[in-house]
Amino acid sequence: MGSLVMFGVLWVVGSLLAEWGATAWIDSAPNGAGPYFGTASNLGIVGVHAFDFLVWVAVPIFVFVVLMILFAMVKFRARRSEKVADAPSQVRNNKVFVGTWILISILLNLLIWLHPNASGLEQVFAAQLPANNPKPVVVDVTARQWEWIFSYPQYHITQSLNASGQDTLYMPVNRPVKFVLRSYDPFHSYAHQVDVIHGFWIPAFGVKLDVIPGETRILYLTANKLISTESNPMARVQCSEVCGPGHPYMEANLHVVTGSQFAAWAKAQAAHG
Amino acid sequence: MAQPLTKDGMTPKPRPVAPLPPVLRGFLWAAIGFIVLAAMAAWLDPSPVSPYLTAVGAIAGWFGAVIGWLLGIGGYEHIVKPMMGFPSPAVRTSGWRRYYEYALDHKVIGLQYLGASTGTFFIAGLIAMAMRFQLMNYRPTLFHYPQDYLNAVGIHGTLMMFTVATVAMVGGLGNYFVPLMIGTRETMFPKASGLSVWLVPLGVLTVAMSPLLGQWTTGWRGYEPLAASDGNGLLYYYMGVFALTTSSLIVAINLTATILFKRTKGMTWNRLPLFAWGILTVSLLNIIWLPEIQTTFILGMLDKVMPLNLFNVFGQPLGYEYLFWLFGHPEVYIVVLPALAIWSEIIPVMGRKSLFARPIAVLGLVFVMLLSGMVWAHHMFTMMRYSEMLPFSFFTEMISIPTGFAYLAVIGTLWNSRLRLTTPTLLVLMSMFNFLIGGLTGLFLADVPANLQLHNTFFVVGHFHYTIIGGMVFSWMAAMYYWLPKFSGRTYSEFWGKFGAIWVFVAFNATFLNFFILGLHGMNRWVSAYPKYLQPENFWTSIAAFFLGAGFAINVIHIVWAWVKGPKVRENPWDAKTLEWRTSSPPPTKNFDTLPVVVGSFYTYGDGVPDPVEMPVAGIDTKDSRV
Repeated sequence: MGSLVMFGVLWVVGSLLAEWGATAWIDSAPNGAGPYFGTASNLGIVGVHAFDFLVWVAVPIFVFVVLMILFAMVKFRARRSEKVADAPSQVRNNKVFVGTWILISILLNLLIWLHPNASGLEQVFAAQLPANNPKPVVVDVTARQWEWIFSYPQYHITQSLNASGQDTLYMPVNRPVKFVLRSYDPFHSYAHQVDVIHGFWIPAFGVKLDVIPGETRILYLTANKLISTESNPMARVQCSEVCGPGHPYMEANLHVVTGSQFAAWAKAQAAHG
Repeated sequence: MAQPLTKDGMTPKPRPVAPLPPVLRGFLWAAIGFIVLAAMAAWLDPSPVSPYLTAVGAIAGWFGAVIGWLLGIGGYEHIVKPMMGFPSPAVRTSGWRRYYEYALDHKVIGLQYLGASTGTFFIAGLIAMAMRFQLMNYRPTLFHYPQDYLNAVGIHGTLMMFTVATVAMVGGLGNYFVPLMIGTRETMFPKASGLSVWLVPLGVLTVAMSPLLGQWTTGWRGYEPLAASDGNGLLYYYMGVFALTTSSLIVAINLTATILFKRTKGMTWNRLPLFAWGILTVSLLNIIWLPEIQTTFILGMLDKVMPLNLFNVFGQPLGYEYLFWLFGHPEVYIVVLPALAIWSEIIPVMGRKSLFARPIAVLGLVFVMLLSGMVWAHHMFTMMRYSEMLPFSFFTEMISIPTGFAYLAVIGTLWNSRLRLTTPTLLVLMSMFNFLIGGLTGLFLADVPANLQLHNTFFVVGHFHYTIIGGMVFSWMAAMYYWLPKFSGRTYSEFWGKFGAIWVFVAFNATFLNFFILGLHGMNRWVSAYPKYLQPENFWTSIAAFFLGAGFAINVIHIVWAWVKGPKVRENPWDAKTLEWRTSSPPPTKNFDTLPVVVGSFYTYGDGVPDPVEMPVAGIDTKDSRV
């Protein structure tokens, strides 16, 4: 009984301390992004809330098992001088303990499936409804081996390039962007063999979607922060699905700018051709 | 005296004096088989660009090499000729040479598997060291072209999965210990088992040499449609894995049949040791899923050679991915179930306490086995339809309930035990710690909104290395120290054992905890070069990884030393109750002089608990009999 009380007290105190530390870590950056980073979009906010909630759920479980391991090593350890003998207590079952364990593990799993998983997915699904994304900027994204090509049909930009001729993605802040994702090679459209799966990922936005040959996939996204690859290297378009030797280099720069800056940029790009 | 384990009643022919050692003869015959069939293919299906070796020829030649190898290693005398009515020759039963020949003794076969796994662990581990060296700098250093690096990643993963993680504790420890633990003198199909182990070195060489046919960049998963346009080395990835999985499939059939039909008298299902339960559930998983992945790989191979357009834009680009993970997720439970089982084997012995909630521990293994086929598409959250996300995240989260039963049993056993803090105990506790982190990070990956960020980053790499190294490799090491006195009659040094365990534990966590941070920082998988801001963290991760590699080397050297030169110990140094300790160490060829009879539970301790085993008086006939 003494061990049980001691363990219980240590577990509660340890969990509270660990939760306090975890919360401090989570809150060490805006939006609870302490350990997570990818929060610069509406979908990233859903992700970080899920992540932070799961940290809080995981902490007491972690403390329970680790404490049990330490407890066994210290409290239940047989002294080296002792003669090997069977433990005095030989409990082979404890219905209360087993029942509680199973019940808690079922309830915890149901909980985290409902929240943050199902509740978060509801937000993700809602964020993908065209009705919830009025007046989006349409960006046609073409993934090929090995390049991201961005075109803006509304602005008559066929391929958005920076001054060095590299593909670059510009987005206005706080305005929905409709990414239309396809995987094919517009320069070698006869060669279907080079159409492979790519992954459209912007680490700072906390979301990715794979681009499948033969399919057109749509991702609605709203950036909520003014960032660029130069200011934050996580703000980049990166291929996240291995797509051949060029995979490590399949990335493009990203600029999230204000609405007026975006309009000016689009005008200049369109004039370029 | 050499006695063959055949049952046909024929007088065994004396062991033939081979003109060449079997391994060399196997190589020679394999080369002949390769040349003959590759030449035939080149003649029937000539290629304008390569007069001698074509893609089709490489595959035909490979099958020729398999046949030549298996015949040369001993299949000719021991399987083909007896089928035609010749008497079965004897097998060598003593000396080191028996490990390099065809064997019938499950213990020799088990050690052959263990040796192959350990050797491959070394090869694939060196590749990992090279990968970590490359990642110390954000620009390429060791591998100058990405395909060199990506091919190394693919070989590392393939060898680790199919030769180490799914083989060491099943083909190795399973073959060695299951017959001993259930009280039988041989396995059900010793002849097939003796041949199957030789598929392992063949498969390892095939995968390791695959870049000679052309570098491949897909990693161990071989995703289509990239695979179809990738280097021809993928053909030998398919073939090598085919050999390795065939080997595991034979092990699974053999051990399942052995556990079903060869248990000694009194070995009821309620008394079956936990490790045997673990091997049984794993073997059922293998029997269900290995044929599935083999079929998939044959489709991939045909798609590449023909091409059939099965998995590209004209077919179903995601078809391969679904088929792969349908096997791929049960695969990780194939890896970890024996580890969970070994925890329940070691902790009651070391704690001198009855195994807590034994039926729950067994049910945990069984339910993990059943559920494991329902979670696979959680590897594909970024690829799938939205409607699939909710059910797959549901099953994925639910599988943690039966997995938790392994913890429930061990924690219940630890409570109020008199725990001997030996090296095996320490390694089991470390394995529990590591696998806990692997499991808890799985919560984040099973959560779809967070997965959309974490998928294909180093967070995932950290997660599965925590489950596989942290769960399986640590438990494998625990089992090796625990059973070392059984293997050799000698024991290890408690100081060096603990030193090695702590070294590996610290280095492992220093390496792979960093992977989670790297992943959250935006480090993606399969990159030989990465943005500069990730370099400092990668640098220190690599340093820790080199310490981890050295730590494994320390443990291997220590175990080998103890095996050969360690201090001798009495036959049951842990005072364990299971049957493998009821015979001499190392066990004789036929395991038991008289077969033990089980009359109680192996996992019940306490004053006045009767011995669970009765050894019948020698001379009375005790045949294997089922109860």
